[in-house]
Amino acid sequence: MVQINKVGVVGSGTMGAGIAQLVIQNGYTAIMFDIDQETVNKAKIGIEARLDRLVQKKKASIDEITSAKQLLKSTTTMEDFKDCQLVIEAAPEKIEIKRSIFQQLEQICSHKTILATNTSSLSITEISGQITHSKRVAGFHFFNPAPIMPLVEVIQGLKTAPETIEALVEFAKALNKEPVVCMDSPGFIVNRVARPFYNEALRIMNDQVATVEQIDRIMKRAGNFKMGPFELQDFIGIDINFAATKSVHAGYYGESRFKPHFYQERMVQAGNLGRKANGGYYRYDE
Amino acid sequence: MTSKTIIVLGENLLAKELFKAIQKNNTGQVHLNELSTIGHVDIVIETTNLDLNDKKRKLQEIEAMVTSNTLILSSILHVTATEVASWLKHPERLIGFGTFSNFYESNLIEIAYPLQADSSYLQTAQETFQLLQLETEIVEDEVGLVFPRILSLIINEAAFALTEGTATVQDIDLAMKKGTNYPLGPFEWAEKIGLEDVYAVLLGLYNQYGEERYRPAPLIKKLVSAGWVGGDKEKGFYHYQYRKTKEYSI
Repeated sequence: MVQINKVGVVGSGTMGAGIAQLVIQNGYTAIMFDIDQETVNKAKIGIEARLDRLVQKKKASIDEITSAKQLLKSTTTMEDFKDCQLVIEAAPEKIEIKRSIFQQLEQICSHKTILATNTSSLSITEISGQITHSKRVAGFHFFNPAPIMPLVEVIQGLKTAPETIEALVEFAKALNKEPVVCMDSPGFIVNRVARPFYNEALRIMNDQVATVEQIDRIMKRAGNFKMGPFELQDFIGIDINFAATKSVHAGYYGESRFKPHFYQERMVQAGNLGRKANGGYYRYDE
Repeated sequence: MTSKTIIVLGENLLAKELFKAIQKNNTGQVHLNELSTIGHVDIVIETTNLDLNDKKRKLQEIEAMVTSNTLILSSILHVTATEVASWLKHPERLIGFGTFSNFYESNLIEIAYPLQADSSYLQTAQETFQLLQLETEIVEDEVGLVFPRILSLIINEAAFALTEGTATVQDIDLAMKKGTNYPLGPFEWAEKIGLEDVYAVLLGLYNQYGEERYRPAPLIKKLVSAGWVGGDKEKGFYHYQYRKTKEYSI
Protein backbone atom coordinates (compact mmCIF):
# COMPACT_ATOMS: atom_id res chain seq x y z
CA MET A 1 0.00 0.00 0.00
CA VAL A 2 1.11 3.57 -0.68
CA GLN A 3 2.83 5.26 2.26
CA ILE A 4 1.27 8.69 2.52
CA ASN A 5 3.53 11.51 3.76
CA LYS A 6 2.77 14.50 1.61
CA VAL A 7 -0.79 15.55 0.83
CA GLY A 8 -1.86 18.09 -1.78
CA VAL A 9 -5.06 20.03 -1.17
CA VAL A 10 -6.72 21.75 -4.11
CA GLY A 11 -8.73 24.77 -3.00
CA SER A 12 -8.31 26.88 0.12
CA GLY A 13 -11.94 27.64 0.92
CA THR A 14 -13.61 26.45 4.13
CA MET A 15 -13.28 22.76 3.30
CA GLY A 16 -9.83 22.91 1.69
CA ALA A 17 -8.35 24.92 4.56
CA GLY A 18 -10.06 22.66 7.11
CA ILE A 19 -8.63 19.55 5.47
CA ALA A 20 -5.13 21.08 5.24
CA GLN A 21 -5.30 21.97 8.93
CA LEU A 22 -6.36 18.45 9.84
CA VAL A 23 -3.53 16.97 7.78
CA ILE A 24 -0.77 19.05 9.39
CA GLN A 25 -2.20 18.62 12.90
CA ASN A 26 -1.68 14.91 12.44
CA GLY A 27 1.93 15.23 11.37
CA TYR A 28 1.66 15.07 7.59
CA THR A 29 2.87 17.68 5.16
CA ALA A 30 0.12 19.59 3.37
CA ILE A 31 0.53 21.63 0.24
CA MET A 32 -2.48 23.87 -0.11
CA PHE A 33 -3.22 25.22 -3.57
CA ASP A 34 -5.42 28.01 -4.83
CA ILE A 35 -5.45 30.00 -8.04
CA ASP A 36 -4.17 33.28 -6.60
CA GLN A 37 -1.63 34.10 -3.95
CA GLU A 38 -3.92 36.37 -1.96
CA THR A 39 -6.58 33.70 -1.47
CA VAL A 40 -4.16 31.03 -0.40
CA ASN A 41 -2.29 33.43 1.93
CA LYS A 42 -5.52 34.40 3.62
CA ALA A 43 -6.37 30.74 4.14
CA LYS A 44 -2.92 30.07 5.60
CA ILE A 45 -3.29 32.95 8.06
CA GLY A 46 -6.72 31.59 9.01
CA ILE A 47 -5.31 28.12 9.70
CA GLU A 48 -2.49 29.55 11.80
CA ALA A 49 -4.94 31.63 13.80
CA ARG A 50 -7.12 28.56 14.46
CA LEU A 51 -4.07 26.57 15.54
CA ASP A 52 -3.05 29.40 17.92
CA ARG A 53 -6.53 29.33 19.43
CA LEU A 54 -6.04 25.63 20.17
CA VAL A 55 -3.03 26.58 22.28
CA GLN A 56 -5.02 29.29 24.07
CA LYS A 57 -7.77 26.78 24.78
CA LYS A 58 -5.10 24.36 25.99
CA LYS A 59 -6.16 21.78 23.45
CA ALA A 60 -2.65 21.62 22.00
CA SER A 61 0.87 22.55 23.15
CA ILE A 62 2.94 25.33 21.61
CA ASP A 63 5.45 22.73 20.36
CA GLU A 64 2.75 20.72 18.60
CA ILE A 65 1.35 23.81 16.93
CA THR A 66 4.78 25.13 15.92
CA SER A 67 5.68 21.87 14.21
CA ALA A 68 2.23 21.65 12.60
CA LYS A 69 2.67 25.12 11.14
CA GLN A 70 5.98 24.06 9.61
CA LEU A 71 4.20 21.27 7.76
CA LEU A 72 1.92 23.67 5.91
CA LYS A 73 3.03 24.89 2.48
CA SER A 74 0.97 27.05 0.21
CA THR A 75 1.21 27.35 -3.54
CA THR A 76 -0.43 28.66 -6.68
CA THR A 77 1.40 26.15 -8.85
CA MET A 78 -0.16 22.74 -9.15
CA GLU A 79 3.21 21.31 -10.25
CA ASP A 80 4.16 21.43 -6.56
CA PHE A 81 1.94 18.37 -6.08
CA LYS A 82 4.49 16.33 -8.05
CA ASP A 83 5.74 14.36 -5.02
CA CYS A 84 2.41 14.01 -3.20
CA GLN A 85 1.15 10.50 -2.53
CA LEU A 86 -2.38 11.84 -2.10
CA VAL A 87 -4.14 14.88 -3.51
CA ILE A 88 -7.51 15.91 -2.10
CA GLU A 89 -9.55 18.18 -4.30
CA ALA A 90 -11.85 20.64 -2.51
CA ALA A 91 -12.71 23.02 -5.35
CA PRO A 92 -16.20 24.47 -6.01
CA GLU A 93 -18.91 21.88 -6.75
CA LYS A 94 -18.83 22.29 -10.53
CA ILE A 95 -18.18 19.24 -12.64
CA GLU A 96 -16.18 21.13 -15.33
CA ILE A 97 -13.86 22.64 -12.71
CA LYS A 98 -13.29 19.30 -11.00
CA ARG A 99 -12.74 17.39 -14.22
CA SER A 100 -10.19 19.91 -15.43
CA ILE A 101 -8.35 19.74 -12.07
CA PHE A 102 -8.15 15.94 -12.25
CA GLN A 103 -6.89 16.08 -15.82
CA GLN A 104 -4.13 18.47 -14.73
CA LEU A 105 -3.28 16.34 -11.71
CA GLU A 106 -2.91 13.31 -13.92
CA GLN A 107 -0.23 15.12 -15.93
CA ILE A 108 1.63 16.29 -12.81
CA CYS A 109 1.51 13.37 -10.36
CA SER A 110 2.73 9.80 -10.64
CA HIS A 111 0.02 7.37 -11.69
CA LYS A 112 0.29 5.87 -8.22
CA THR A 113 -0.79 9.07 -6.52
CA ILE A 114 -4.25 8.72 -5.04
CA LEU A 115 -6.56 11.39 -6.35
CA ALA A 116 -9.48 12.08 -4.05
CA THR A 117 -12.39 14.47 -4.28
CA ASN A 118 -14.17 16.01 -1.32
CA THR A 119 -17.36 16.44 -3.35
CA SER A 120 -20.61 16.10 -1.45
CA SER A 121 -22.90 16.08 -4.45
CA LEU A 122 -21.16 15.03 -7.66
CA SER A 123 -20.55 11.54 -8.95
CA ILE A 124 -17.06 10.16 -8.32
CA THR A 125 -17.39 8.09 -11.46
CA GLU A 126 -18.19 11.17 -13.52
CA ILE A 127 -15.31 13.18 -12.07
CA SER A 128 -12.87 10.36 -12.88
CA GLY A 129 -14.41 9.66 -16.29
CA GLN A 130 -11.62 11.12 -18.37
CA ILE A 131 -8.70 9.96 -16.25
CA THR A 132 -6.51 7.21 -17.66
CA HIS A 133 -5.68 5.64 -14.29
CA SER A 134 -9.14 6.10 -12.83
CA LYS A 135 -8.72 3.21 -10.42
CA ARG A 136 -6.80 5.54 -8.08
CA VAL A 137 -9.63 8.09 -7.99
CA ALA A 138 -12.11 8.02 -5.09
CA GLY A 139 -14.33 10.22 -2.98
CA PHE A 140 -13.05 11.41 0.40
CA HIS A 141 -15.95 13.35 1.84
CA PHE A 142 -15.29 15.36 4.99
CA PHE A 143 -17.96 17.17 6.96
CA ASN A 144 -17.77 20.81 7.94
CA PRO A 145 -15.78 21.78 10.02
CA ALA A 146 -13.31 19.17 8.79
CA PRO A 147 -10.88 19.36 11.75
CA ILE A 148 -13.75 18.64 14.17
CA MET A 149 -16.42 16.45 12.55
CA PRO A 150 -15.39 12.81 13.08
CA LEU A 151 -16.88 11.24 9.94
CA VAL A 152 -15.29 10.72 6.53
CA GLU A 153 -17.20 9.00 3.72
CA VAL A 154 -14.81 7.06 1.49
CA ILE A 155 -16.60 6.67 -1.82
CA GLN A 156 -15.96 3.99 -4.37
CA GLY A 157 -16.58 5.00 -7.97
CA LEU A 158 -17.32 2.33 -10.55
CA LYS A 159 -13.67 2.26 -11.57
CA THR A 160 -12.04 2.79 -8.17
CA ALA A 161 -9.70 -0.02 -7.10
CA PRO A 162 -10.19 -1.68 -3.69
CA GLU A 163 -6.54 -0.76 -2.81
CA THR A 164 -7.41 2.92 -3.24
CA ILE A 165 -10.32 2.56 -0.83
CA GLU A 166 -8.15 0.66 1.66
CA ALA A 167 -5.44 3.31 1.54
CA LEU A 168 -7.96 6.10 2.13
CA VAL A 169 -9.61 4.22 4.99
CA GLU A 170 -6.20 3.80 6.64
CA PHE A 171 -5.32 7.43 6.05
CA ALA A 172 -8.65 8.61 7.51
CA LYS A 173 -7.88 6.56 10.64
CA ALA A 174 -4.41 8.11 10.77
CA LEU A 175 -6.16 11.49 10.84
CA ASN A 176 -8.20 10.23 13.82
CA LYS A 177 -11.39 10.13 11.79
CA GLU A 178 -14.07 7.46 11.54
CA PRO A 179 -14.22 6.30 7.92
CA VAL A 180 -17.25 4.63 6.33
CA VAL A 181 -17.13 3.09 2.88
CA CYS A 182 -19.93 3.62 0.41
CA MET A 183 -20.70 3.15 -3.24
CA ASP A 184 -20.94 6.09 -5.62
CA SER A 185 -24.64 7.04 -5.37
CA PRO A 186 -26.47 10.38 -5.07
CA GLY A 187 -25.92 11.93 -1.63
CA PHE A 188 -23.68 9.00 -0.58
CA ILE A 189 -24.89 7.93 2.89
CA VAL A 190 -25.43 10.93 5.11
CA ASN A 191 -26.91 13.45 2.69
CA ARG A 192 -29.25 10.82 1.39
CA VAL A 193 -30.48 9.10 4.57
CA ALA A 194 -30.90 12.47 6.32
CA ARG A 195 -33.24 13.85 3.63
CA PRO A 196 -36.52 12.76 5.30
CA PHE A 197 -35.48 14.49 8.53
CA TYR A 198 -35.92 17.81 6.74
CA ASN A 199 -38.37 17.00 3.95
CA GLU A 200 -40.94 15.29 6.11
CA ALA A 201 -40.67 17.95 8.82
CA LEU A 202 -41.39 20.59 6.18
CA ARG A 203 -44.42 18.72 4.98
CA ILE A 204 -45.74 18.15 8.51
CA MET A 205 -45.31 21.85 9.22
CA ASN A 206 -46.83 23.05 5.97
CA ASP A 207 -49.80 20.68 6.38
CA GLN A 208 -50.38 22.28 9.81
CA VAL A 209 -49.98 18.98 11.67
CA ALA A 210 -47.60 20.73 14.06
CA THR A 211 -45.71 24.04 14.24
CA VAL A 212 -41.99 24.58 13.65
CA GLU A 213 -41.44 24.92 17.41
CA GLN A 214 -43.48 21.82 18.19
CA ILE A 215 -41.70 19.67 15.62
CA ASP A 216 -38.29 20.71 16.92
CA ARG A 217 -39.39 20.11 20.51
CA ILE A 218 -40.88 16.69 19.68
CA MET A 219 -37.79 15.50 17.81
CA LYS A 220 -35.56 16.56 20.69
CA ARG A 221 -37.72 15.35 23.58
CA ALA A 222 -39.20 12.20 22.03
CA GLY A 223 -36.30 11.27 19.75
CA ASN A 224 -33.29 12.60 21.66
CA PHE A 225 -32.03 14.46 18.60
CA LYS A 226 -29.61 17.24 19.57
CA MET A 227 -31.29 19.70 17.23
CA GLY A 228 -34.71 19.72 15.62
CA PRO A 229 -35.05 19.72 11.82
CA PHE A 230 -35.78 23.45 11.62
CA GLU A 231 -33.05 24.53 14.04
CA LEU A 232 -30.64 22.38 12.09
CA GLN A 233 -31.69 23.89 8.75
CA ASP A 234 -31.13 27.36 10.21
CA PHE A 235 -27.72 26.22 11.44
CA ILE A 236 -26.62 24.64 8.14
CA GLY A 237 -28.18 27.35 5.98
CA ILE A 238 -31.57 26.78 4.38
CA ASP A 239 -30.09 27.45 0.92
CA ILE A 240 -27.39 24.80 1.47
CA ASN A 241 -29.98 22.31 2.71
CA PHE A 242 -32.29 23.06 -0.23
CA ALA A 243 -29.40 22.63 -2.69
CA ALA A 244 -28.55 19.24 -1.14
CA THR A 245 -32.17 18.08 -1.49
CA LYS A 246 -32.35 19.27 -5.10
CA SER A 247 -29.10 17.51 -5.90
CA VAL A 248 -30.16 14.15 -4.42
CA HIS A 249 -33.60 14.48 -6.07
CA ALA A 250 -31.98 15.13 -9.46
CA GLY A 251 -29.41 12.37 -8.88
CA TYR A 252 -32.25 9.85 -8.49
CA TYR A 253 -34.01 11.25 -11.58
CA GLY A 254 -36.85 12.72 -9.61
CA GLU A 255 -37.60 9.87 -7.19
CA SER A 256 -40.46 11.38 -5.19
CA ARG A 257 -39.01 10.44 -1.78
CA PHE A 258 -36.46 13.20 -2.33
CA LYS A 259 -38.78 15.83 -3.76
CA PRO A 260 -37.99 19.24 -2.24
CA HIS A 261 -40.81 21.14 -0.53
CA PHE A 262 -41.86 24.43 -2.11
CA TYR A 263 -41.91 26.11 1.30
CA GLN A 264 -38.17 25.61 1.63
CA GLU A 265 -37.71 27.31 -1.73
CA ARG A 266 -39.89 30.21 -0.54
CA MET A 267 -37.59 30.63 2.46
CA VAL A 268 -34.58 30.78 0.15
CA GLN A 269 -36.35 33.24 -2.18
CA ALA A 270 -37.18 35.43 0.82
CA GLY A 271 -33.53 35.44 1.90
CA ASN A 272 -34.49 33.76 5.17
CA LEU A 273 -31.47 31.53 5.06
CA GLY A 274 -30.99 30.83 8.76
CA ARG A 275 -28.36 31.91 11.24
CA LYS A 276 -26.05 33.47 8.69
CA ALA A 277 -28.88 35.77 7.56
CA ASN A 278 -30.04 36.55 11.11
CA GLY A 279 -33.18 34.58 10.55
CA GLY A 280 -34.75 31.56 9.00
CA TYR A 281 -37.40 29.56 10.79
CA TYR A 282 -36.32 31.42 13.94
CA ARG A 283 -34.98 34.96 14.47
CA TYR A 284 -31.42 35.51 15.65
CA ASP A 285 -31.10 39.28 15.70
CA GLU A 286 -31.37 39.85 19.44
CA MET B 1 -55.56 11.34 39.42
CA THR B 2 -55.37 8.37 41.75
CA SER B 3 -56.84 4.90 42.12
CA LYS B 4 -57.92 4.40 38.57
CA THR B 5 -58.29 1.06 36.93
CA ILE B 6 -56.35 0.90 33.70
CA ILE B 7 -56.25 -1.89 31.17
CA VAL B 8 -53.39 -2.18 28.70
CA LEU B 9 -54.21 -4.15 25.61
CA GLY B 10 -51.82 -5.54 23.03
CA GLU B 11 -49.23 -8.22 22.36
CA ASN B 12 -46.36 -5.94 21.37
CA LEU B 13 -43.38 -4.48 23.21
CA LEU B 14 -45.17 -1.18 23.66
CA ALA B 15 -48.02 -2.85 25.59
CA LYS B 16 -45.59 -4.63 27.90
CA GLU B 17 -43.64 -1.45 28.53
CA LEU B 18 -46.73 0.65 29.17
CA PHE B 19 -48.00 -1.99 31.58
CA LYS B 20 -44.75 -2.02 33.53
CA ALA B 21 -44.48 1.75 33.55
CA ILE B 22 -48.02 2.20 34.87
CA GLN B 23 -47.50 -0.55 37.42
CA LYS B 24 -44.50 1.34 38.69
CA ASN B 25 -46.11 4.77 38.81
CA ASN B 26 -49.81 4.25 39.40
CA THR B 27 -51.47 3.94 42.76
CA GLY B 28 -54.48 2.25 41.19
CA GLN B 29 -54.85 -1.02 39.38
CA VAL B 30 -53.44 -1.97 36.03
CA HIS B 31 -54.03 -5.10 34.02
CA LEU B 32 -52.45 -6.43 30.86
CA ASN B 33 -54.77 -8.11 28.38
CA GLU B 34 -57.39 -9.22 30.92
CA LEU B 35 -60.73 -7.75 30.25
CA SER B 36 -63.52 -10.12 31.15
CA THR B 37 -62.58 -10.52 34.81
CA ILE B 38 -62.52 -6.85 35.68
CA GLY B 39 -65.51 -4.82 36.80
CA HIS B 40 -65.22 -1.09 36.40
CA VAL B 41 -62.55 0.26 34.07
CA ASP B 42 -61.52 3.92 33.87
CA ILE B 43 -59.03 3.87 31.06
CA VAL B 44 -58.18 1.43 28.31
CA ILE B 45 -54.87 1.78 26.50
CA GLU B 46 -54.93 -0.08 23.22
CA THR B 47 -51.69 -0.58 21.29
CA THR B 48 -52.17 -2.76 18.20
CA ASN B 49 -50.53 -1.15 15.19
CA LEU B 50 -49.86 -3.38 12.25
CA ASP B 51 -52.98 -5.56 12.01
CA LEU B 52 -55.88 -3.16 11.66
CA ASN B 53 -58.55 -5.89 11.61
CA ASP B 54 -57.23 -7.10 14.92
CA LYS B 55 -57.18 -3.55 16.24
CA LYS B 56 -60.78 -2.97 15.19
CA ARG B 57 -61.94 -6.26 16.66
CA LYS B 58 -60.21 -5.58 19.98
CA LEU B 59 -61.60 -2.08 20.24
CA GLN B 60 -65.14 -3.27 19.54
CA GLU B 61 -64.78 -6.02 22.13
CA ILE B 62 -63.58 -3.49 24.66
CA GLU B 63 -66.43 -1.17 23.90
CA ALA B 64 -68.93 -3.91 24.62
CA MET B 65 -67.42 -4.44 28.07
CA VAL B 66 -66.78 -0.95 29.41
CA THR B 67 -69.12 1.96 30.08
CA SER B 68 -69.75 4.51 27.35
CA ASN B 69 -67.60 7.16 29.05
CA THR B 70 -64.50 5.04 29.62
CA LEU B 71 -61.50 6.81 28.09
CA ILE B 72 -59.94 4.81 25.29
CA LEU B 73 -56.37 5.69 24.40
CA SER B 74 -55.39 4.16 21.09
CA SER B 75 -51.99 3.99 19.44
CA ILE B 76 -52.32 5.68 16.06
CA LEU B 77 -49.15 4.80 14.16
CA HIS B 78 -51.01 3.21 11.25
CA VAL B 79 -54.30 5.17 11.08
CA THR B 80 -55.71 8.47 12.25
CA ALA B 81 -57.53 8.69 15.57
CA THR B 82 -60.54 9.88 13.60
CA GLU B 83 -60.63 6.63 11.66
CA VAL B 84 -60.18 4.54 14.81
CA ALA B 85 -62.94 6.49 16.56
CA SER B 86 -65.26 5.84 13.63
CA TRP B 87 -65.20 2.14 14.50
CA LEU B 88 -66.78 2.85 17.89
CA LYS B 89 -70.35 3.38 19.04
CA HIS B 90 -69.14 6.17 21.32
CA PRO B 91 -66.33 7.76 19.34
CA GLU B 92 -66.20 10.95 21.40
CA ARG B 93 -64.11 9.31 24.19
CA LEU B 94 -61.27 8.06 22.05
CA ILE B 95 -57.93 9.88 22.10
CA GLY B 96 -55.00 8.85 19.92
CA PHE B 97 -51.36 8.72 20.97
CA GLY B 98 -48.17 8.00 19.10
CA THR B 99 -44.93 6.63 20.42
CA PHE B 100 -42.59 3.74 19.82
CA SER B 101 -41.64 1.15 22.38
CA ASN B 102 -38.58 2.22 24.35
CA PHE B 103 -40.60 5.37 24.98
CA TYR B 104 -39.16 5.44 28.49
CA GLU B 105 -35.90 6.59 26.98
CA SER B 106 -37.64 9.68 25.72
CA ASN B 107 -39.48 12.35 27.65
CA LEU B 108 -42.40 13.15 25.44
CA ILE B 109 -45.44 11.47 23.96
CA GLU B 110 -47.60 12.90 21.20
CA ILE B 111 -51.35 12.88 21.41
CA ALA B 112 -54.03 13.73 18.89
CA TYR B 113 -57.78 13.84 19.16
CA PRO B 114 -60.22 12.78 16.51
CA LEU B 115 -62.71 15.11 14.87
CA GLN B 116 -65.43 13.37 16.88
CA ALA B 117 -63.71 13.83 20.26
CA ASP B 118 -65.13 15.49 23.32
CA SER B 119 -62.27 17.63 24.63
CA SER B 120 -62.89 16.71 28.29
CA TYR B 121 -61.23 13.35 27.60
CA LEU B 122 -58.12 15.08 26.38
CA GLN B 123 -57.24 16.25 29.86
CA THR B 124 -57.55 12.77 31.34
CA ALA B 125 -55.35 11.51 28.54
CA GLN B 126 -52.68 14.08 29.35
CA GLU B 127 -52.88 13.28 33.05
CA THR B 128 -52.47 9.59 32.33
CA PHE B 129 -49.19 10.15 30.50
CA GLN B 130 -48.00 12.67 33.06
CA LEU B 131 -48.34 9.88 35.56
CA LEU B 132 -45.61 8.09 33.59
CA GLN B 133 -43.41 11.20 33.84
CA LEU B 134 -44.00 11.98 30.18
CA GLU B 135 -44.65 15.39 28.70
CA THR B 136 -47.39 15.52 26.12
CA GLU B 137 -47.59 17.47 22.93
CA ILE B 138 -50.94 17.81 21.16
CA VAL B 139 -50.62 17.69 17.40
CA GLU B 140 -53.10 17.43 14.54
CA ASP B 141 -54.54 13.98 13.97
CA GLU B 142 -52.42 12.54 11.15
CA VAL B 143 -50.97 9.08 10.59
CA GLY B 144 -47.72 8.53 12.50
CA LEU B 145 -47.90 12.00 14.12
CA VAL B 146 -44.48 13.71 14.13
CA PHE B 147 -41.63 11.67 15.65
CA PRO B 148 -42.77 8.19 14.53
CA ARG B 149 -43.41 9.55 11.03
CA ILE B 150 -40.05 11.28 10.56
CA LEU B 151 -38.06 8.46 12.17
CA SER B 152 -39.82 5.77 10.13
CA LEU B 153 -38.99 7.59 6.91
CA ILE B 154 -35.32 7.84 7.93
CA ILE B 155 -35.27 4.09 8.63
CA ASN B 156 -37.04 3.47 5.31
CA GLU B 157 -34.41 5.45 3.41
CA ALA B 158 -31.62 3.59 5.21
CA ALA B 159 -33.29 0.32 4.17
CA PHE B 160 -33.41 1.45 0.53
CA ALA B 161 -29.71 2.38 0.74
CA LEU B 162 -28.91 -1.06 2.18
CA THR B 163 -30.93 -2.79 -0.53
CA GLU B 164 -28.89 -0.96 -3.16
CA GLY B 165 -25.62 -2.01 -1.55
CA THR B 166 -24.64 1.60 -0.84
CA ALA B 167 -22.91 0.64 2.41
CA THR B 168 -23.07 -1.88 5.25
CA VAL B 169 -25.53 -1.73 8.14
CA GLN B 170 -22.70 -0.71 10.50
CA ASP B 171 -21.36 1.98 8.21
CA ILE B 172 -24.80 3.50 7.61
CA ASP B 173 -25.43 3.62 11.37
CA LEU B 174 -21.98 5.03 12.05
CA ALA B 175 -22.32 7.63 9.29
CA MET B 176 -25.60 8.96 10.65
CA LYS B 177 -24.27 9.18 14.21
CA LYS B 178 -20.94 10.75 13.36
CA GLY B 179 -21.93 12.78 10.30
CA THR B 180 -25.12 14.37 11.64
CA ASN B 181 -25.08 13.72 15.39
CA TYR B 182 -28.07 11.37 15.42
CA PRO B 183 -28.40 9.74 18.85
CA LEU B 184 -28.72 6.31 17.20
CA GLY B 185 -28.17 4.97 13.71
CA PRO B 186 -31.36 4.19 11.75
CA PHE B 187 -30.84 0.41 11.99
CA GLU B 188 -29.96 0.53 15.68
CA TRP B 189 -33.19 2.42 16.17
CA ALA B 190 -35.19 -0.08 14.17
CA GLU B 191 -33.73 -2.99 16.16
CA LYS B 192 -34.61 -1.25 19.38
CA ILE B 193 -38.21 -0.29 18.70
CA GLY B 194 -39.16 -3.25 16.57
CA LEU B 195 -39.58 -3.07 12.84
CA GLU B 196 -43.32 -3.92 12.79
CA ASP B 197 -44.22 -0.53 14.20
CA VAL B 198 -41.98 1.21 11.66
CA TYR B 199 -43.67 -0.79 8.93
CA ALA B 200 -47.10 0.13 10.35
CA VAL B 201 -46.27 3.85 10.12
CA LEU B 202 -44.97 3.55 6.55
CA LEU B 203 -47.91 1.49 5.41
CA GLY B 204 -50.30 3.91 7.12
CA LEU B 205 -48.72 6.92 5.40
CA TYR B 206 -48.69 5.10 2.07
CA ASN B 207 -52.40 4.28 2.42
CA GLN B 208 -53.34 7.73 3.68
CA TYR B 209 -51.58 9.75 0.99
CA GLY B 210 -51.29 7.23 -1.83
CA GLU B 211 -47.89 8.65 -2.68
CA GLU B 212 -44.82 6.81 -3.84
CA ARG B 213 -42.65 8.69 -1.33
CA TYR B 214 -44.18 6.69 1.53
CA ARG B 215 -43.75 3.27 -0.10
CA PRO B 216 -42.19 0.93 2.45
CA ALA B 217 -38.84 -0.50 1.33
CA PRO B 218 -39.44 -4.10 0.20
CA LEU B 219 -36.66 -5.20 2.56
CA ILE B 220 -38.65 -3.93 5.55
CA LYS B 221 -41.69 -5.90 4.43
CA LYS B 222 -39.56 -9.03 4.03
CA LEU B 223 -37.99 -8.68 7.45
CA VAL B 224 -41.43 -8.22 9.02
CA SER B 225 -42.73 -11.29 7.16
CA ALA B 226 -39.79 -13.32 8.43
CA GLY B 227 -40.23 -12.03 11.95
CA TRP B 228 -36.73 -10.52 11.83
CA VAL B 229 -37.95 -7.35 13.46
CA GLY B 230 -35.48 -6.61 16.25
CA GLY B 231 -37.10 -5.59 19.52
CA ASP B 232 -37.42 -8.72 21.65
CA LYS B 233 -36.60 -10.94 18.65
CA GLU B 234 -33.08 -12.15 18.05
CA LYS B 235 -32.93 -11.20 14.42
CA GLY B 236 -33.09 -7.90 12.63
CA PHE B 237 -31.16 -5.82 10.12
CA TYR B 238 -27.77 -6.75 11.58
CA HIS B 239 -28.54 -10.42 11.35
CA TYR B 240 -29.93 -10.00 7.85
CA GLN B 241 -26.69 -8.46 6.67
CA TYR B 242 -24.69 -11.51 7.75
CA ARG B 243 -27.04 -14.20 6.61
CA LYS B 244 -25.05 -14.98 3.50
CA THR B 245 -21.72 -15.25 5.23
CA LYS B 246 -22.60 -16.73 8.60
CA GLU B 247 -25.68 -18.87 8.45
CA TYR B 248 -25.41 -20.50 5.11
CA SER B 249 -21.68 -20.83 4.62
CA ILE B 250 -20.06 -24.24 4.96
